[in-house]
Amino acid sequence: MSIFNLHLPILDEIKEHGLKTTVRDRSVDVVTRLTSGLSPSDIRSILRDDPPGRPNPRLKPHSEGFWLHMKPTYYHQLMDGVYPTFRLGWLSTFFFVFEIITGVLLMVYYTPSPAFAYENMLTILGNVPFGRLLRDMHRLGAELMVAVVMLHALRTFLTGSYKKPRQFTWATGMILLLVTWLLSFSGYLLPWDQLSLWAVTIGVSMVEAIPPEIVGQTVNLLARGAPEFGANGLLRWYLLHVVAMPLVGIIFFGVHYYKVIHHGHSLPPEDEEVGEDTAKRVPTDTRVYFFPTIATRELFYTVALTAMMVVGSLFIHAPLEPHADPLITPLHSTAPWYFLWLQGMLKLGDKVIWGLIVPGVLISGLLVLPYIEVGPSRRYGDRRIGLTAGAVTTLLFAILSYMGSPWYAVQTSAEQEAVAELVPETHPGPLRLSDWNELQVGTYDASAYEAAPTEALHDLLEEFDHELARIPRDERTDHEGIMVIENWQTGLKKITLRVLWTTVADGNPGEYSQTLYLHEDSNYGQGE
Amino acid sequence: MRWHIALGTVAVVVIVVVLAYVAITETARMESFTNAYDSRRIEVGAALYENNCRTCHGPQGEGIPGVAPSINAPDLFNGERLMAVGFSGTLYDYIEGVVAYGRPVPSAGTSYPQRMPTWGQEFGGPLRQDQVDAIVSFILNWEDQALAAAGEGTVTLGEGEAVGVDVGVSLPEGDPRAGASLSQSAQAGCSACHELAAVGPAWAAEASQPGIGERAGQRVAQSDYSGEAETAGQYLLESIVNPYAYVVEGFDASLMPRDYGERLTAQEAADLIAYMLSLR
Repeated sequence: MSIFNLHLPILDEIKEHGLKTTVRDRSVDVVTRLTSGLSPSDIRSILRDDPPGRPNPRLKPHSEGFWLHMKPTYYHQLMDGVYPTFRLGWLSTFFFVFEIITGVLLMVYYTPSPAFAYENMLTILGNVPFGRLLRDMHRLGAELMVAVVMLHALRTFLTGSYKKPRQFTWATGMILLLVTWLLSFSGYLLPWDQLSLWAVTIGVSMVEAIPPEIVGQTVNLLARGAPEFGANGLLRWYLLHVVAMPLVGIIFFGVHYYKVIHHGHSLPPEDEEVGEDTAKRVPTDTRVYFFPTIATRELFYTVALTAMMVVGSLFIHAPLEPHADPLITPLHSTAPWYFLWLQGMLKLGDKVIWGLIVPGVLISGLLVLPYIEVGPSRRYGDRRIGLTAGAVTTLLFAILSYMGSPWYAVQTSAEQEAVAELVPETHPGPLRLSDWNELQVGTYDASAYEAAPTEALHDLLEEFDHELARIPRDERTDHEGIMVIENWQTGLKKITLRVLWTTVADGNPGEYSQTLYLHEDSNYGQGE
Repeated sequence: MRWHIALGTVAVVVIVVVLAYVAITETARMESFTNAYDSRRIEVGAALYENNCRTCHGPQGEGIPGVAPSINAPDLFNGERLMAVGFSGTLYDYIEGVVAYGRPVPSAGTSYPQRMPTWGQEFGGPLRQDQVDAIVSFILNWEDQALAAAGEGTVTLGEGEAVGVDVGVSLPEGDPRAGASLSQSAQAGCSACHELAAVGPAWAAEASQPGIGERAGQRVAQSDYSGEAETAGQYLLESIVNPYAYVVEGFDASLMPRDYGERLTAQEAADLIAYMLSLR
């Protein structure tokens, strides 16, 4: 049949078999093409866990399709449980993809310029539907990805899976760990708030120490774009975050995964003969096929994790501190948690030794670990020294991380710390979260908290008093805390916290005070 | 495998439900966030104002005669001032422009000797755009106060005979309440400078230091006291009308205006002194 001399075979088919049959056949055809060989009935049988037909149609997507060409068609059943992988590699991949998707959506609303970046955050939070959810999910995903990648490395070490023949897989994995750190770290700067600026400033400050001086200065200048972070620095870290690091990550992910599949997933150490690698030999009766078992499970993990991320982001919000200010260093600024160990090391002494040489040796050591540590056995019992060294290193990292936190060896005045408990500079804190109406105008003595006219004031003054009581009295004594609340403007109160003391040595009085303005509608505690 | 599929389906339902919940509540949430952030901008503005603007425009924007005009004033908010300078944009734009650019020439009809400096970073000043915005938000928040105050009477100076500079002059009975009010008024202008303490006026008691009433008595009795006063009240009068008869150590002998003897009436001086003597 032809219309205007145009021949459409589908019309012949409809004429011959009827419309319903033709549409059904064509739909089956489309699905089969899109899945590289799985018809709707194949998919249905996969979901029902029916036995496969012969020849097995479920192998076709592996041999003909792009997405599964690297995925194995079957796994060893020993790899089917949570142990030994804990699914950490898969989780890393999930978060990487999750971050790319949420990240691309966030890019739509972002301009990498100090003049606009912070304003963009306010827009995302206040004028973009689902904006806060996206930002929260991106942030939560980033933190989890760092944690998962680090645990993945630790697991690989513990099960000895880095050993021959998988040395190169381990090395690429270490590079991926660095990429993950840098990805997360470079993202810190983008909101251009105080947290951003100071976390990255602290992080970058150590490159300045690279000897000789000219090299340190040049690298520092390249990393900051100018002597101090500004428009150029932000643009550089933005490009690092959205182009360079994802690209490096994708390339090394490809190599890493190719190597994983090439060598096969390493079996639990106790199930292999010492010195042997039997991952590639999977007897027929121990096979678990990708379709249906692994595929449905990975699909399940994907939706379940997405649901967890969506629900989690309702409760865990990405912080947003005040606008970045190069002139004001907030009390208790730190590097991100995964770099606290580095900050801890810097407190030990020389910048060059502890900020560059030691971490450099450590990371290069980890990179080449499988080429140095060549003991043939992966059994836990045979690796007592290695595992002990690993445990000690992990413990050291934990201790160094604690040392990197502001609670260790940071010299600030105890009086300032006491006030900061009420009015912290890195999160809202109790005073900003108090009921505005209960902050009655007046002058209050911290020690007389029992007499406070409202409950909120009572709690604040009590905490103030307790913080002051904790100050050691060896240099200064007779501490007195005063809180003054004044009406400042319509809906605005001025609150001054003062600490008075007497110096023990010469008997002179001293004072520290901090002022805070609080608006009735500022509504802190929305998670930011 | 079945429970994977069942739980997976549940997870999909959870995602849809949560997204629907977010979609429904999102408009209200965005509004609440915007409102909260506008309020926080006022807080930031208040601190910036304190550090940068207060020395000339007064702690409450009341202005200081001979230094800078009032910005907590009804004519700024009721449109009169914009009309006077012929500005056709919004009040926000007007204030933002004045803060960011500064005032290279005085407005018509005014004769302030100092020029408003440039504050915006892009024009060579010290403040970023977000800081300028915060100051504007803070100033605009005076609207209610300024318009409400427009109807009320204000304290005036100089009606009646001036008190002069003689510390021995006999003063009428003073009213401490009137003195307190006068001390805080823009016309008297005391609080523009004497409020450098962390809390409230510098003449109030602070830490180990007693109020000015007590202090005045101690000063007169000091051996290095070089003025003519014999009582605490006279000392206070002298400090106002003839401030350089004796300057407390550590203070600059050029800051206090010399013209209060001509500007204050005897009653106003008596009120101020009565108020200050009550501070111990």
